[in-house]
Amino acid sequence: MNEERSRGRAWFERFASGGVRVEGLPASVLAADAPLEGLPVRWIAVVPAPQARFPRARAGEMGIDEAFGVAAAVRGAPAGSAIVALVDVPGQAFGIREEAIGLQRALAASADAYVRARRSGHPVAALIVGKAISGAFLAHGMQAGWIGALDDPGIDVHVMSESAVARVTRMQRDDLARIASEVPATARDIASFARLGAIDALFEVADPQAPAEEEYAVVARALSAALRDGSGVRPPIDRLGRAAAIQTRALARRVRADLAAGWDG
Amino acid sequence: MTPHIGDSYAERNARERAQALLDPGTFREVLGPFARLRSPYLAAQGVAAQSDDGVVVARGTLGGERACVLATDGRFLGGAIGEIGGAKIAASLELARRDAERGTPTRVVLAFDSGGIRLQEANLGLLAIAEICDAVVALRAHQPVVAVIAGRVGVYGGMSIVTALCNEVIVTEGARIGLNGPDVVETEAGADEFDASNRPLVWKATGGRRRFAQGHATALVADDMPDIRAAVEEAFARNRSFVAIAHPDFPDPALEREAFLRAYGVTP
Repeated sequence: MNEERSRGRAWFERFASGGVRVEGLPASVLAADAPLEGLPVRWIAVVPAPQARFPRARAGEMGIDEAFGVAAAVRGAPAGSAIVALVDVPGQAFGIREEAIGLQRALAASADAYVRARRSGHPVAALIVGKAISGAFLAHGMQAGWIGALDDPGIDVHVMSESAVARVTRMQRDDLARIASEVPATARDIASFARLGAIDALFEVADPQAPAEEEYAVVARALSAALRDGSGVRPPIDRLGRAAAIQTRALARRVRADLAAGWDG
Repeated sequence: MTPHIGDSYAERNARERAQALLDPGTFREVLGPFARLRSPYLAAQGVAAQSDDGVVVARGTLGGERACVLATDGRFLGGAIGEIGGAKIAASLELARRDAERGTPTRVVLAFDSGGIRLQEANLGLLAIAEICDAVVALRAHQPVVAVIAGRVGVYGGMSIVTALCNEVIVTEGARIGLNGPDVVETEAGADEFDASNRPLVWKATGGRRRFAQGHATALVADDMPDIRAAVEEAFARNRSFVAIAHPDFPDPALEREAFLRAYGVTP
């Protein structure tokens, strides 16, 4: 992937090129403070960096430095600032250095930073512009109170990369596609993820790497509204109550109700 | 560190572990197997479901205090989290927070043994893990959240992230904590990167002893029920605040793989 043309970088530059860059982060983590319609916003994106220290984290993956970098950027958000995660992460870094150091701690650090920022009143939104895979998405995006996404075939939301799923399950792509059509939770497209009640807005953009001015304006207006109307501070559990989740997450809703009823015996 | 033969935690199943962690005679399961909450997604994919979906929610007391043990069954699909099991954990953490806010706190022990998110329910598990992460952080504002990682699977994927958010993590030497299982790393990056069949290396790099030495676990105990129970009681008695996860020191990642591991004290 060309570093200059990653979707995360393209959208970061669109929103934050005129802003004040946050210093001291690895080259793979972009963060800047730039207002959105007058509202102070800290924009954060993870991008490919061929010069990254870890050999297994140079193609945009969330590795040790990326996750701790995102955590630092979130923790350092100015008081009164909203936070927007621009999500284009192909997954976490797969390597023995990462496992020996403890990559789970790094991802927990950024997830923790997002939760604490949101719970202390920073509105947090995420905009999925590319891939949103597994631990990387958990650490960068999923803790947002509001999640928007491009309505684009290049979006990929899953717990594992497509090639890894095929290897682990020893299934052909045709079989995986059939299962995905029967069990939408296993599908990778953004429409299926939206059917689970997890997406607050979908945006049509002809070229996801270079949105037209009017397309960009629609996204910016929606983000701006979400960061001002309280959507950004909602906890993830609220997604269970969204209209789209009523049917698709009926079991989770039932578990929640039944558990509350039986909790005290 | 001498194991008392016959009182192993790892040899118990999830329900027995929860029972053994709680004060004797106080175990009460909420939404147990007779609730018949089976994953419909597994059957649709030709996989046998289990009527507790692999997660035990056990109420009772611990050291005389109201408690809840959330135990995952590593013998059922590797303890991986789907919609039902994930909802059980998230909802229990929420109820414990409600209890804390009402002044009637419930101690929570996460007795995890889990490969992470269940592939057959993929994004439903992912959504549940995000809720669980949020709920642990929210509960932590009131009381310590204690994890016991002492099963045969260990914790991986989203469940290792949840574990890292806990105030206290009790491990045994046999436990493993990692983000990506060695087989997954081998699949993604090749056996030159991580040879999953090299079991000694797996434990040297990600085992309980290593995680304790790194400060990722707060107690290293024998696989012995009385020792584990004592560690849990001590963890609650310490009432330690969560220590923010800091960017650790490590050798230069540009070092060749073996040199890196040696420099980091992991003899390949």
